[in-house]
Amino acid sequence: MNRHTPIPQKKADVMSGVSDRSDCRVILENVSLDFPLHSTAKLALMQNQRGVVPPTKDADKLIMKNGRIKGVHALRDLSLTIKSGERVGLIGSNGSGKTTLLQVLAGILPPTKGRVTITGRPTSLINIHLGLMPHATGHRNIMLRGLAAGQDRDTIESKREEIAQFCQLGDFLELPVSTYSAGMRMRLNFAIATAFTPEILILDEWLSAGDQEFKKNASMRMREFVEQAGILVLASHGPDMLLQNCERGIWLDAGRVRQDGGMKEVLKAYQAEKAGKK
Amino acid sequence: MLGLFWIIASYALFVGGISLFFSGFASLSAQEFTIYVALGYATFTFLMANIADGSAVFSTSSAWIKSTNLPYSIYVFKSLFRSLLPFVMQLTVAFALMLYFGTFAKVSWHAFMALPALVMFLLCAVPLQYALGLISARYDDIQHSINAITRLLIFITPILWVREEAHGTRGLLADLNPMTHFLEIFRNPLMGMDARPLSWMVVIGVTILMWLFAGLISTLMRQRLPFWI
Repeated sequence: MNRHTPIPQKKADVMSGVSDRSDCRVILENVSLDFPLHSTAKLALMQNQRGVVPPTKDADKLIMKNGRIKGVHALRDLSLTIKSGERVGLIGSNGSGKTTLLQVLAGILPPTKGRVTITGRPTSLINIHLGLMPHATGHRNIMLRGLAAGQDRDTIESKREEIAQFCQLGDFLELPVSTYSAGMRMRLNFAIATAFTPEILILDEWLSAGDQEFKKNASMRMREFVEQAGILVLASHGPDMLLQNCERGIWLDAGRVRQDGGMKEVLKAYQAEKAGKK
Repeated sequence: MLGLFWIIASYALFVGGISLFFSGFASLSAQEFTIYVALGYATFTFLMANIADGSAVFSTSSAWIKSTNLPYSIYVFKSLFRSLLPFVMQLTVAFALMLYFGTFAKVSWHAFMALPALVMFLLCAVPLQYALGLISARYDDIQHSINAITRLLIFITPILWVREEAHGTRGLLADLNPMTHFLEIFRNPLMGMDARPLSWMVVIGVTILMWLFAGLISTLMRQRLPFWI
C-alpha cells in the first residue's frame, strides 16, 4: 500500500508462436499493478485541499505521498489461469481495471508485483486507432498491420481478399484511412487482427461501435477461431455481446476479481448489484 | 504538386541564398563554399534531427506502445529512417553542385571515407534516440532544452565558417563541440580532404559512450515507459 514509487517488474514472459494451438495459455500469479502518476497528479488535488488531503471514498485506490497522488492501484493480487479454447468476458464498472488487465494479458504493461506467463502470440485490439496509418490507404494498412503482427508478405497477400471481404469496405480500401469513419476503422482493424488466426485475441469494448450486421459477423468469426483452440478475452458493458461470445465471466471490482464463473451467473450477480445500488 | 521534391527544392534555395550572402566571409572560393554549405548544413540538420526526433520517438508512438507488445527499438528505427530520407535527398543537391562545378575529379578516392562516416552516424543515432526517447517520455520539458541547444550548436559548429580559419576561443569551442567532429568525418572526404584522426577518435568514443549510456537508461527506465506516455 505504501510503496511510493511503483517499480514494475519485467513484462510478461511471452512465448509466441506455439507449435500446437491447444498449448495457448495465460497465467497470472498474484499480479498487482500500480499505475505511477507524475506531473498531472498534483494539480487536481491542490485545488480542493489546503495542506490537508481530505479523505475521499477513493482513498484506498490511491498511492499518496506528501499530499500528492503518486499512483493508482489498478490491479491487486490477481491470480487467474486462462486455457486454450476459453472465451472470457470481463465486466466491471468504469475504472475497475478492465483495460489495465487486458494490457497486462497482452504483454503491454509490466505488473508491479507477481508473474505473468503468456504462451502464444497475443493480438490485442485495445485502441481503435492503433496501427492504422491515417495517410496510407486501407490496402497499404493491411500490409502494415500484417507486418507488425509478425506475418510475412506472402501470407498477408494471400489473406488480403479475405480481409477486404470481411470488412466490406469495398473501394474505400483505396482511400486513405483518415477519410474513414470510426466504424469503418474498427471494421478494418478487426478484420486484419483476426485474419491471421490469432492465438490469443484480446478485445476492449469498442467492438460495440459496429452495426448489427458487423456485430453478428464478428461474433461468428470469433467463435470460429476459438473453436480452433485460441483464447478470447473480451471486455464489454453489453450483456448481449458478452453472452453471445463468452462462456466464462470475470467480474472485476476495484482491481480485484469479485467473481469468476459462468458468464450468465456472473453477469446476473453484477447486474443485481448495480440494480441494488440504485 | 511537387510532393517530396519540395525537400530538394527548398534546400537548393536555402544553399543558394546562404552562398550568395556569406561566401565572402571564408577564404574558400565561391564554388567551394557553396558545396561546403550544401554538405555541411544537410549533415548538421540530419544529426540534429536525431536529437529532436529522438526526444519524441516514444511519445509520438504512444498509441502503439500502449496497445501492442512490439519491441521499443522498432520506433527508433522507424524514426531514424524518417530523418535519413530527407538527408539523402538534401545530399543530392550537394552532389548536383559538385557535378555542376566539376569538383568530383579533385575529390577522388577520399570520398569513400564518407561511407564509414555515414555508418557511424547511424550507429550513434540508434542509442541516442533510444535514450533520449526514454528520458523525455518521463520528463517532458526536455524538449525545450533541446531547442535551446540546437540554436547554440548551429553557431559553434563550422557550417557557415571554416574551422581552420577560426583561432583562439572560437577554434577551441569548435573542437570541444562533438558536432564538429561528426560533421568533419563526413564532409571532409567529400571535399577531397581527410578528416583528422582526432575527429574519428571523438566520434568512435562518443558512439561507444552512447551505447553504454543507452544500456544504462534502458535498464533503469524501459519497464515504465508505457506508464509515462
